[in-house]
Amino acid sequence: MLPLIRSEWRKLSTVRGPWLLLAAGPLLVVAGITGLVQSGGNVQDPAVQSKALAHVALAALFTLIFGIFAVAGEYRHGTITDTFLSSPDRGRVVTAKLAVYAPVGAVAGLVSSVVAVAVTAAWWAAKGGSFHLSAADTWRTLAGGVAVNIAFAAIGVGIGALVRNLAVAIAAALAWIALIEGIAGQLVGSGLARWLPFSASQAVGQADLTGASRPLPQWGGGLVLTGYAVAFIVAAMVTTLRRDVT
Amino acid sequence: MSGVEIRGLTKTFGRVTAVRGMSFTAPAGKVTGFLGPNGSGKTTTLRIVLGLVRPGAGAALIGGVPYGRLARPRRTVGALLEAGGFHPGRRARDHLLVLADAAGIPGTRVDEVLGQVGLAAAADRRVREFSLGMRKRLGLAGALLGDPQVLLLDEPANGLDPAGIAWLRGLLRGLADDGRTVIVASHVLSEIAQTADHVVIVSAGQVRFAGALGDIGATGNALESAFLKLTATAG
Repeated sequence: MLPLIRSEWRKLSTVRGPWLLLAAGPLLVVAGITGLVQSGGNVQDPAVQSKALAHVALAALFTLIFGIFAVAGEYRHGTITDTFLSSPDRGRVVTAKLAVYAPVGAVAGLVSSVVAVAVTAAWWAAKGGSFHLSAADTWRTLAGGVAVNIAFAAIGVGIGALVRNLAVAIAAALAWIALIEGIAGQLVGSGLARWLPFSASQAVGQADLTGASRPLPQWGGGLVLTGYAVAFIVAAMVTTLRRDVT
Repeated sequence: MSGVEIRGLTKTFGRVTAVRGMSFTAPAGKVTGFLGPNGSGKTTTLRIVLGLVRPGAGAALIGGVPYGRLARPRRTVGALLEAGGFHPGRRARDHLLVLADAAGIPGTRVDEVLGQVGLAAAADRRVREFSLGMRKRLGLAGALLGDPQVLLLDEPANGLDPAGIAWLRGLLRGLADDGRTVIVASHVLSEIAQTADHVVIVSAGQVRFAGALGDIGATGNALESAFLKLTATAG
């Protein structure tokens, strides 16, 4: 297994695209928190602080796309042939990719967290608020944000393996987050909507998330996201991964 | 010892039967020319041998074992499939290091094969800057990386300049003389006539002829007329 993991890391570390993609995560955090403050977010309100830090979980959009590239990107460039020649056991290939992409997703989440704390603290200082790094919700929100970045990277690996067509996989993932989950949520009602992946990720990524959406508890959301990752990966392994590579 | 044995392979894609009951053996120590018109099932057969495509029936064995059960596939079989298969942004050396890592092959071997295929000077260039011929050479370097006993090459001369073709001929000859099994799929008959010891001619997914090149005719013209006659009967 170790040689395959080393090979997957080599694939990632020798191209620029994935790193540019991941760099967009912290940028989104900076823009998002700045936007929150500029649009009148009250820096005296602890809930607003939590909402600012929850942008770490939103940055997981980029670890999701990053994960999609793991398998679908190899189909796109035709390198999947060499990958399966090196390891005819295709399940081991996906396992090796997860072993690389999930930790990289964690690092992306950590970088976003550091950036989120720095930007939030700076804005709070500038606007005369009091930023509380020590609040329990702060750490739970940041830890949840990192967890969402890991889970979305793994879900992305699963989606890319299942769909194989890079453009279709990315378009479908983005459409789901931007549009489809919202509509699906309205159709099934909030009791079921909270089990949908983006809603679950919000429950994980903000410790004190409340409101009409009746979010899952943070740990429950984490289990649900893990379940989606497992479901996509298993679905890929029993269907598309077994198909002929022509 | 590790020849390639194709036994009764059949493969259907939707309503198209690409390979029907194909059987032949490519012996060790020989260059086997695998000839056939476009769409005759050559590439599908090679992909089945490599475990990329699952046959509907039959088996493809390498030294008696299917590819998927080889203990160290890259050190047993080297394959060149097409000019694609590279990430355009990756440097040539890194492309080979990806393959070497997965097979537990030391990095020093990467520079050896880059030298062997004449890409030493281009090792640190990104593949997007490569010509078709250079991509072919890089693909060959990947096939040679594990110092395998069996080589499967799909149209290896395609895209090479005349000097490259002459070089390739010497390379294939040397590999076979070392006792390796070399299968070269091609429709460039004059090339095969100069390189192969053994030919397998296929058409419409079936073997039309398998035997020594000398049994057909040693010159390109004789091979061409035999090829056209054998593959025309396919109907």
